[in-house]
Amino acid sequence: MDFRFDIIWDYAPLLLRGTLYTIWISIASILLGSIFGLGVSLGKMSRYWFLRWPMQSYINFFRGTPLLVQIFIVHFGLIPLIYGKTNAIIAAVVALSLNSAAYSAEIYRAGILSIDKGQMEAAQSLGMTHFQAMRFIVLPQAIRRMIPAFGNEFIQLLKDSSLLALITVPEIMYWGNAMKNQYIRIWEPYMAAAVIYFILTYTLNKVLVAIERKVS
Amino acid sequence: MKKWYVSAIVTLVAMLILAGCGAKKSENTGIENAGSAAGNSSDATTYMFASDASYAPMEYMDKDELKGFDVDFLDEVMKQAGLKYELHNVAWDAMLESVKQGKEYQAGISSISITDDRKQTYDFSMPYFESTNVIMVKEDSDIKSATDLKGKKVAVQGGTTADILMTKIMGEGNTDLKKFDSNAVALLELDQGGADAVVADIAIVRDYVKNNPGKKLKSIADSTNFNSEYYGLAFPKGSELKAKLDPAIKAIIENGKYAEIYKKWFGEEPNTANLK
Repeated sequence: MDFRFDIIWDYAPLLLRGTLYTIWISIASILLGSIFGLGVSLGKMSRYWFLRWPMQSYINFFRGTPLLVQIFIVHFGLIPLIYGKTNAIIAAVVALSLNSAAYSAEIYRAGILSIDKGQMEAAQSLGMTHFQAMRFIVLPQAIRRMIPAFGNEFIQLLKDSSLLALITVPEIMYWGNAMKNQYIRIWEPYMAAAVIYFILTYTLNKVLVAIERKVS
Repeated sequence: MKKWYVSAIVTLVAMLILAGCGAKKSENTGIENAGSAAGNSSDATTYMFASDASYAPMEYMDKDELKGFDVDFLDEVMKQAGLKYELHNVAWDAMLESVKQGKEYQAGISSISITDDRKQTYDFSMPYFESTNVIMVKEDSDIKSATDLKGKKVAVQGGTTADILMTKIMGEGNTDLKKFDSNAVALLELDQGGADAVVADIAIVRDYVKNNPGKKLKSIADSTNFNSEYYGLAFPKGSELKAKLDPAIKAIIENGKYAEIYKKWFGEEPNTANLK
């Protein structure tokens, strides 16, 4: 099989720029998503139905529909609706964050429920409010247990960000597609992209293992 | 127990269902043609053609049926050559790779412009269609030519010659040039204000402007910056099919069949002087 390294070399600077886009969009989305997800999660576990129902629907929608569909809806529907016209980068971060929030919410819920009920009761019996008990007793313990799950979510998000090429966010796959289209060849662009994604997720995995070790 | 009995039945049923689906699928997406009696009947092979049918009016799916200029054209060429064939709708990437290998599909017809880069990987038929790119903008736009597009946001379908031309004008790696997966999505981007202009093949743009009068669009031709380009059938390197089809293409251009199809799809006479 002929494999042309020269065309990968040609596109290397663009692939590198694309990699930086992939990284910062993934980081921004996982951060925004996990902040927003905490709210969604607490809403879902709330005593009040008017908080619980919308958050439950939110999670159902974002976990139950394909991310690609969500990206298109946000890019061609939601962003023009709010902002007047569409913008691929904003749409990218919004779509990934909204999607990630739904998954993060379930991670928080699982983490919080894994903490024994007695802890909350004990904290409240000491005179803490529900909020204080959550903030100082339950969440700090729960978050430690959530780290592996969040690591998975981050890796998933990083890989899923390749879908953003379809709304022309100039990330790795976008330049991979450009390379593919210029030479109409399949192997070189997709192998190059695969190698870059692999390096990113592998490094991320190592970092996560190190963090886990440190925390526990 | 009689587990083998149960699993045998399950396997059989599964196979029948799969076979049923398989048969149905090829019925739905394929166009089959027995070839005309006039041609040589010694070649009994059924040639497999692939097309990415997302390029109205050149090739598109009308429900589950392949239609378009290329589809009619290929039918006429194969009749002329007296060869049996099937045409299938295959996504662009898959089409390229399988045509390159030449095993599953022996040729691709999908408004594929002939370029030097592509000639390194494929053999092309003689050119069968002359096209040019045009610019589509909203009616109130002040863009008048391709050079006005510098510094604007431009949407194209990635990999088309519009992409190649605009990359040259706007510079490689310029993210103001947005390369979409299909023209349909690029047009949507213009609609939603994410781009100031779309550059695409004249047939596509005219078709879209005509079918969307409410969107207040206009098309701008720019013959100084946009040269003519030519579509060809793509074959794997060293394919024998090229030698069989080139004379057939030539024949239907000369006998007027080509003009007939052209008029059906574009409502005007073709200029075939450059197709050689």
